[in-house]
Amino acid sequence: MERRIVITGIGVVTPIGIGCEEFWTSLLNGRSGIAPVQSLDTSDYNVHRGAEVKEFNAEKYILNLDATRLGRASQFAIAAARLALADAGVEIGSLDQKRAGVSMGTTSGEPREVERFDDSYVSKNLDRIGPEFLARYPCHVIPAHVASELNFSGVNIMIPTACAAGNYAIAHAFDVMRAERSDLMLAGGSDAFSRITFTGFARLGAVAPETCQPFDRLRKGMIPGEGAGVLVLEPLDRARRRGARIYAEVGGYGLSCDAHHMTAAHPQGDGAERAMQQALADSKTKPEDVSYISAHGTGTLTNDRLETIAVKRLFKDAAYRIPISSVKSMLGHTMGAASAIEAAVCALAVFNDRVPPTINLNDPDPECDLDYVPNFARDLRINVAMNNAYAFGGNNASLILRKRELLN
Amino acid sequence: MITGMGVISPLGDSPARLHDSLCQGLSGIKPIQLFSTAGLGCPLGGEILDFDAAKYLGGERNLRPLDRTSRLVVSAAQLALKDSGWSAEMRAAQEVGLVLGTMFCSVHTISEFDRRTLEAGPAYASPMDFSNTVINAAAGQTAIVHNLRGVNTTISTGVTSGLEAISYATDLIRSGRARALLAGGADELCFESFYGFDRAGLLCRSNDSAGDFPIPFDSRRNGLALGEGAALLMLEDVALARERGARILGEIRGHGSSYDCSRGQEDKDSVQAVASAIRQALHDGFILPCELDCLSASANGSVAGDRHEAQGAFVGLSGQAHKLPVTAIKSMLGETLGASGPMQAVSLLETMRDGVLPGIPHLEEIEDDFPLDMARAQSHEADVINGLINSIGLDGHCCSLILSRGEA
Repeated sequence: MERRIVITGIGVVTPIGIGCEEFWTSLLNGRSGIAPVQSLDTSDYNVHRGAEVKEFNAEKYILNLDATRLGRASQFAIAAARLALADAGVEIGSLDQKRAGVSMGTTSGEPREVERFDDSYVSKNLDRIGPEFLARYPCHVIPAHVASELNFSGVNIMIPTACAAGNYAIAHAFDVMRAERSDLMLAGGSDAFSRITFTGFARLGAVAPETCQPFDRLRKGMIPGEGAGVLVLEPLDRARRRGARIYAEVGGYGLSCDAHHMTAAHPQGDGAERAMQQALADSKTKPEDVSYISAHGTGTLTNDRLETIAVKRLFKDAAYRIPISSVKSMLGHTMGAASAIEAAVCALAVFNDRVPPTINLNDPDPECDLDYVPNFARDLRINVAMNNAYAFGGNNASLILRKRELLN
Repeated sequence: MITGMGVISPLGDSPARLHDSLCQGLSGIKPIQLFSTAGLGCPLGGEILDFDAAKYLGGERNLRPLDRTSRLVVSAAQLALKDSGWSAEMRAAQEVGLVLGTMFCSVHTISEFDRRTLEAGPAYASPMDFSNTVINAAAGQTAIVHNLRGVNTTISTGVTSGLEAISYATDLIRSGRARALLAGGADELCFESFYGFDRAGLLCRSNDSAGDFPIPFDSRRNGLALGEGAALLMLEDVALARERGARILGEIRGHGSSYDCSRGQEDKDSVQAVASAIRQALHDGFILPCELDCLSASANGSVAGDRHEAQGAFVGLSGQAHKLPVTAIKSMLGETLGASGPMQAVSLLETMRDGVLPGIPHLEEIEDDFPLDMARAQSHEADVINGLINSIGLDGHCCSLILSRGEA
């Protein structure tokens, strides 16, 4: 029989709270993390708001490595990993660390390290760049730093599939555990607020001037953000043996590629539909059994429409009965961390039977006519949650989480 | 099953040309023309001179938005699809995916985009260039050009990225998640990454007693040369390959990965990590050390890395390493980072076909305690049925893979 894999711990570093509890409370209360950008001078830009993580103290979480020598995305990742392990009640000493691994996703890796290089280059002070550039910049250092901090010498991988990366990383961890290559995986995503990302989305005209309003008729775009989300994945038998709290089971996943355009989704949502379809098939879930969908829901004109089309194409009439929400309305778009944080949202929704709202949704777009849980959280039995994520490069990933009571 | 290969390298753009060059002991490592190395400690690199993607794609059409890394991947993909017989019609009928390993994708594109923001202001940063700043850009661009609508994943684990990508793809096929995948890796030579390696003191110094080359495993080695390229294998499940009458070049028997938490700083841990990856690959492929016929080493001339690999191979192969013929093709190609493991795979498949194993040019004095009695400066005959490929990172990641000869 196939090994069953469950989520036993959640760690998040987000613009609306650090740690699972604060984050979940903020979500249910519809709190927004969107504010004027502080880490970058935006006076030369036509947009000025972002979703940054405030009051983050890296030293609180990083105990074995020197936090001052790590990039911000690595710091977030380690903090989220530590929080997730603590939440799971895992004693690191009780683990076989050779069988413990890390699977992470990101959009930009450690962009601030290359930005420092560029500042030095432009000001003709490249001599200021030393060996730390190679040691801190390449994106694989993020899972490496997490593992070195925790002394985990098993599987260690970075899957940088941009804004869907967190889902890819969790999906890979699921496969690694099912193949019995690991007994515990930390899986998620991390990204730091960056000049490059902010500039790029601003130049694409994709950044909203004020706020993020997914599915609203007046929505004006996404809000760049930052953060990290990490889940603890364990086999069911191990989790039961140690009496762990089980948030949800990972049911399966689907991945696809539009092969259509680098930054624009397929006009009929083709790739998105195929990823969802595969996730349902992989987890042996009937479409009508899906009780909640966490949308990619960036708040751009096209994303929200195409996502709606794809959901309708796959779920047909059932689409109108499934609550769908976009937590990006509160968190902004935390890039490679987004779908990992949203997987945490799905796990919490399944565990608590509550669905967080899509805030700022007052005047629904007539072309977005599904139930987006506007503005207020809802109590609802959630047996199966689907987490959708889409990215530059046409990368699509859907993940299925389901309730522990359904486990036999 | 491996049914095709595509390679773009400093030593040729076909597996046969690459292999012949390697067996003749030709070096692709020369003074760099792509950018100025003035003021840097090493002027050498494995550059692909006169690289022109249009030559492979039949014109410039579709190529305009692609940077050098993407052009390398698109070209190698074209060659691998052709070599394996996957026509455009077949790709329209059956999903083909891509798993690409890359350390940087293009740090040059990322840095240029950011420098333009700094120098001219954000209003002058190009939205098209922004879409190439994501680390999955090359995989996404390649999917668009070749209509690859299946799984599209980018893996980034430093030097091991490419071999890790092949391992990931192998598992997707084994578990039935995919039937046909291009898998391999790529990295470009560019000023930004070169500068990082130079500042980290990892490049071989020219004008040294050892001459201008990296000499893996030699006691006089003093560093690596950076190279560039792309190499992709076409992987298919056995039923599909047989059904369509594909020529089978070889088989991926097993793979293993581990992580050295000391990141190359503690010899004991580093050696253990190398050994662990090898042991897992043997275990995964049900192969005994005595059944291996050669080792394609990751060794690139770096002082600590080569030592960890030599000693790790001794431990991982239960003392059998000294009997194994060994090659280290980075002596001639340079360290091609994400492309390196897949390049080794291409070269090894050619050795399986024609029975000649490349030597390690300039190797005269194998370091005393390296158990590699069979390493030779000259190429020599070797009847290889099962071969081990190592990919050892600079900062902790280790991956090993076992290839077996095909029926052809």
